[in-house]
Amino acid sequence: MSLHSKRRFQWLMLTPVLLLLFGLTVFPFMYTVSNSFTDYYYLASESKEFVGLRNYVQVLQDEVFLQAVWNTVKFMLLAVTTETVLGLAIALLLESVKKGLRFFRVALLIPSLLPPVTVALLWQMMLSNHNGIINHMLAFFGAGPFNFLMDINTAFYAILLIDIWQWTPFAFLLLYAALQAVSRSQYEAALVDGAGRISTFIHITLPNILPSLMLVILLRTIDSFRLFDKVNILTGGGPANSTTTITQYIYRHGVYNLQIGYGASASMIMVLLVLAFTVFYIMRSLGGKRYGRNH
Amino acid sequence: MKKGIVALLSVALMTGMLAGCQSKGNDKLVIAARGGSHVAAMEAVKATFEQEHGVKVEIIGLEAADLKQKIALDAKNKKSAYDLIMADDPWMPEFSEAGIFKKLSDLGVQADPDFEESSLALGKHPYGTGEQYALPFSGNVQLFFYNKDLLDRNGATVPQSWEEVLQRAEKVKGSGSAGYIIRGQQGNPIVSDFLPIFWAYGGQVFDDQWKATVHSEAGVKALNTYKSLLAAGENYETTDIVSAVSEGRAAMALGWPSWFISGEEAKADYAPIPSKGDADGQPVATGMIGNWMMGVTANSQNAELAAQFLTFITSSDSQKQMVAHGGVPSRKSVYLDSELSAKYKHFPVQLEALQNSVARPRTTKWSRVEEALGAELSAAIAGTKSVEAALTAANQAIDQVMQ
Repeated sequence: MSLHSKRRFQWLMLTPVLLLLFGLTVFPFMYTVSNSFTDYYYLASESKEFVGLRNYVQVLQDEVFLQAVWNTVKFMLLAVTTETVLGLAIALLLESVKKGLRFFRVALLIPSLLPPVTVALLWQMMLSNHNGIINHMLAFFGAGPFNFLMDINTAFYAILLIDIWQWTPFAFLLLYAALQAVSRSQYEAALVDGAGRISTFIHITLPNILPSLMLVILLRTIDSFRLFDKVNILTGGGPANSTTTITQYIYRHGVYNLQIGYGASASMIMVLLVLAFTVFYIMRSLGGKRYGRNH
Repeated sequence: MKKGIVALLSVALMTGMLAGCQSKGNDKLVIAARGGSHVAAMEAVKATFEQEHGVKVEIIGLEAADLKQKIALDAKNKKSAYDLIMADDPWMPEFSEAGIFKKLSDLGVQADPDFEESSLALGKHPYGTGEQYALPFSGNVQLFFYNKDLLDRNGATVPQSWEEVLQRAEKVKGSGSAGYIIRGQQGNPIVSDFLPIFWAYGGQVFDDQWKATVHSEAGVKALNTYKSLLAAGENYETTDIVSAVSEGRAAMALGWPSWFISGEEAKADYAPIPSKGDADGQPVATGMIGNWMMGVTANSQNAELAAQFLTFITSSDSQKQMVAHGGVPSRKSVYLDSELSAKYKHFPVQLEALQNSVARPRTTKWSRVEEALGAELSAAIAGTKSVEAALTAANQAIDQVMQ
């Protein structure tokens, strides 16, 4: 095969992917950017007009948006930290389990296999004031009933708990797979050298699973930023905007109220926020293959 | 050879992925509907129309927000995916203004005076006076639900004003049960739950110039009453409201008939919503109307057939049949049918409520107004803002939306 022919074949093979990438990522992104500078209302009879930075200024001046940003960041930090730590703890625990491993693995994964809407409705029933199993159990211990989703002191944490329940298994799965890949010989060498459990974990386990740990943090950071279904179904963003998230804000303005231009500007601000929180990992991924070499 | 096969497969894959849209034949009508009992009711009667016209009627049930989004997106297509659409009545100004519906007079559909007037008015643009764009499919209107045993045990009668509702709620609370249940979830629920009380005190969301007037004497009185009702009860979502009132753990709540009434059975007693704020106040209409309208899409390729189905499904005969499947009539002849009203005891009360109903303000921006008002009402009942501060903020937010 000549070099020219080979190159042409390579480009031919790449074309579908490039077309998909352009059609599904590049074009929508650029279209959203351009819309964010317009007064685009989907049902308007007039064509959209360029409004400069007006949408951005309005979004950033909107108290509800600022509250949504705070809620989202707080949620992201709490959810990602808890899910990663719990996922790692369960993975370490299960690695030492000798019997029933397959059952535990499947059982633990069930929450993350459920669609978000199903999860929301399931927890709505469980957290119900009257018929919910959680209030029934608390009543057994003489506590409650609690109005988990309507009380400003508990609504945010109820959503957080549900997210942790759903996504800790995801963190567990990735970290468990990483633990399985750690060479046994390293542990044996540490044992011979007289290293304790904590020392082994810090000096052998952690460095080996670090790439997966970073991946879990990255994926959960991005995903928790997109928190929507649970909030929209369970609280509608309330009470008093205490559970409003950026995606719900974007949905209400850009999708439900069809204010495409305004919603697009809020989306772009969200993109910048997500980038700010993930830039560390992305820079490491693009700039070096330090983690990759460990695999 | 291998290269050729791979290239062919790639092209086939791309073609398959890009071929998303299929054209819809003239032998099929597609209806985008609000999911749940509306779909069940239509499914129960559509066979007659299908047989008479040799056409298949496909009904797609969707959640409300999803339905609104899909209708709007489809409106820009040259050929609509839906021939008929259902719309919550507050969406009508926005949809009519945007030209989503075909004018019914162009399709030979006449506004039938048998429809309850308040329901029929919702399908006109401008409201009540303009052209008819949609017909009322479901004549929903909010009612006042109460647990008679609980009120009786507390020596209380059915309240006629919100002052009396509060008095009775506090009395019931004193006996250990919840007096009144508010539906205080932020957004549409709390606004729908609050407005009847606000109206009862003589409040209006807008003045004649479309300036917000929620921060008013009526607004303060209504929101104070609403907060006091919460103090004498609980704040639940729909399922818990129904179970609490029907099982006697709470005395009173507002609700839509379909929550409590299924067929001939009612889980709680019901009455029109109290029409006065104070006991000595002037009675006004307070029953929030919440009809689901149905119209033909402007870009339907089967508009005439769709209009025939609209006439069929909103006819007196169809509505009578649909009642048994969860349908809510919008025609007077159905409510006044002696056989049906003997069977469905709530019909007289529901017709009375419909006749004294109030429509939410007819603006194309109602969704956004509702969102702004809902957030501030939620802040008031959560205690993060005072009544005054919440209503002031609501006024400002609504005015900003209306600019």
